[in-house]
Amino acid sequence: MDILKVEDLQKSYVSPETKENFKAVDGISFCLQEIQIYGILGPNGAGKTTTLEMIEGLTDIDGGCATVDGVDVSSDPYAVKQIIGVQLQSNEYFDSLSLEELLKLFGKLYGNETNAKALLEKVDLVEKIHAKPEELSGGQKQRFSIACALVNEPKVLFLDEPTTGLDPQAKHNLWDLIKELNQSGMTIMLTTHNMEEAETLCHNVAIMNKGKIIAEGKPDDLIEKYDTSEDEKGNLENVFLYLTGKELFD
Amino acid sequence: MLTSLQLHLAGVFLKIFLRNRQAILFSLFFPLIFIGAFSFSGTSNDPFIIGVTDESRSPFSQEFITNLEQEEIFNLIEGDFESLQSSLIEGDIRGLILIPKNFKDIDNLGALKFYVDASQTRQVNIIQRAIETSLLSVERKIRNIEPLFNLQLEDVKARPQRYIDFLLPGLLAFMIMNLSIAGSGFNIVEYRRRGILKRLFVTPIKPKDFITSIVLARMLIVLVQLSVVLSIALFVLDITIIGSYLSFYLTVILGTFIFLCIGFALGSLAKTQEGIRPIVGLVTFPQVILSGVFFPISSMPEIVQPIVYSLPLSSVVSSLREIANDGVSFMAFSTSTIGVLIWVLISFVIATRFFVWKEVAK
Repeated sequence: MDILKVEDLQKSYVSPETKENFKAVDGISFCLQEIQIYGILGPNGAGKTTTLEMIEGLTDIDGGCATVDGVDVSSDPYAVKQIIGVQLQSNEYFDSLSLEELLKLFGKLYGNETNAKALLEKVDLVEKIHAKPEELSGGQKQRFSIACALVNEPKVLFLDEPTTGLDPQAKHNLWDLIKELNQSGMTIMLTTHNMEEAETLCHNVAIMNKGKIIAEGKPDDLIEKYDTSEDEKGNLENVFLYLTGKELFD
Repeated sequence: MLTSLQLHLAGVFLKIFLRNRQAILFSLFFPLIFIGAFSFSGTSNDPFIIGVTDESRSPFSQEFITNLEQEEIFNLIEGDFESLQSSLIEGDIRGLILIPKNFKDIDNLGALKFYVDASQTRQVNIIQRAIETSLLSVERKIRNIEPLFNLQLEDVKARPQRYIDFLLPGLLAFMIMNLSIAGSGFNIVEYRRRGILKRLFVTPIKPKDFITSIVLARMLIVLVQLSVVLSIALFVLDITIIGSYLSFYLTVILGTFIFLCIGFALGSLAKTQEGIRPIVGLVTFPQVILSGVFFPISSMPEIVQPIVYSLPLSSVVSSLREIANDGVSFMAFSTSTIGVLIWVLISFVIATRFFVWKEVAK
């Protein structure tokens, strides 16, 4: 069953430099099935975060529609927020509050009483229950923000570039956590520009460039279809470069 | 009514404030400066030090000097012209009276000369008038006439009121404005810049709940700070509040609410910590000058009075002053109380309507 449906989603901004309207998201459509991990791949500025923010109710939708579990985001953003969990790229929290206090606070925002210890156990941070976020390492911080995103037992979990800036150990550790969550029944949508991450985690990926989805499918199918390199075992990176070109994106 | 979410969040904000030692120190430091300002403004004016050079040494001049000495506003120093003149230039004395040699012949009385530093115009007027009064009474004595008119000052309010009693409500309102705008505006900009507000915004919290809870927490903090200053003013400076404390605090609470909301609105306008300072200055500075904190609005040009009266700080100042100085009850709903209530509405609407959770995408 599709838990998330996006149809012809659009968002335009006025560029502060050229004063011209440009389409950050240009009519994209996709569906997300339950207990799937869906990845949006794309270079910087492709519109990945904007897409996520529109579904999360953070950014107004200019055109098209998005529904989560049958609820339309534009008409009832608060009902959607109630059933999704979100991890943002920046993860700063109020000063001088412990992890436990922050989790309890986030629980309250959904009207729940939070079992902070159980949540921290899930992300392997239970010994840090009285620590403050600024005392955590990069990987621990990311695990903590996933714990925060789980306080409302969401139907869909959104992760925006969860492993960017992490060292290899922390990255693999986070992948394990994401897989575990998925195996326990969580539907997850993530953005990344790490091809290995998409290949390891995602059941389905969409490759975005300049606001449009230029390819969509299972990672293996995409490799078979687009990887034209001579390598024995193809990979998603080649597909990505083939589709988006090799010039630099700024 | 308040929800459990709002109360919980307010508790969280209080906790954040109480764990920030710097903020606590600053919040105590601020009222202390005010108390200092109170105690200085409470003292009566020092007399003017005036130099006198008597070149005539006549009975007239002696009579005149004795008369001047009786004036409470003067402190006379006699001396030679040159040294007193240099004292005047250096600013040690306020003025210098030169009594000429020919100040003795009643038919050909030489004119007195009064030397002043003209940059002190306000004081010059006061001094000049007092000298003229002294001259007049000397003249009456010589001509042997009784004064025709008598002026007696009667205080219609029939209670001892000093400038400090007038000033206190103004200063408290000023303090409410500063602490409140700083408490909400500056915090909100920082929370937004760090993405904390954005993180909150992906949860189902509504701006109304967020603003209500910060307002609650900040209000408690401001009330404690204000009560410290008020109690010191009451006990140390012997201030009396004639109206009821209930009315007074009700107005204080509403005033705090207004400026917290204005702080939120300003915090939504500004994008950075650097950006909010000039915006806050632009809003608070003219109000400090115009809103009758230090002198009554009625002493201003009539044409600007309606505008000045409609400023939020003016409403709060006038309301507090009515209660403290004239014993007016809040429930009397005077013009200024209604002004306060209108500003409560306006400020809450702009704060919630224009609240910005996240930085605008580039």
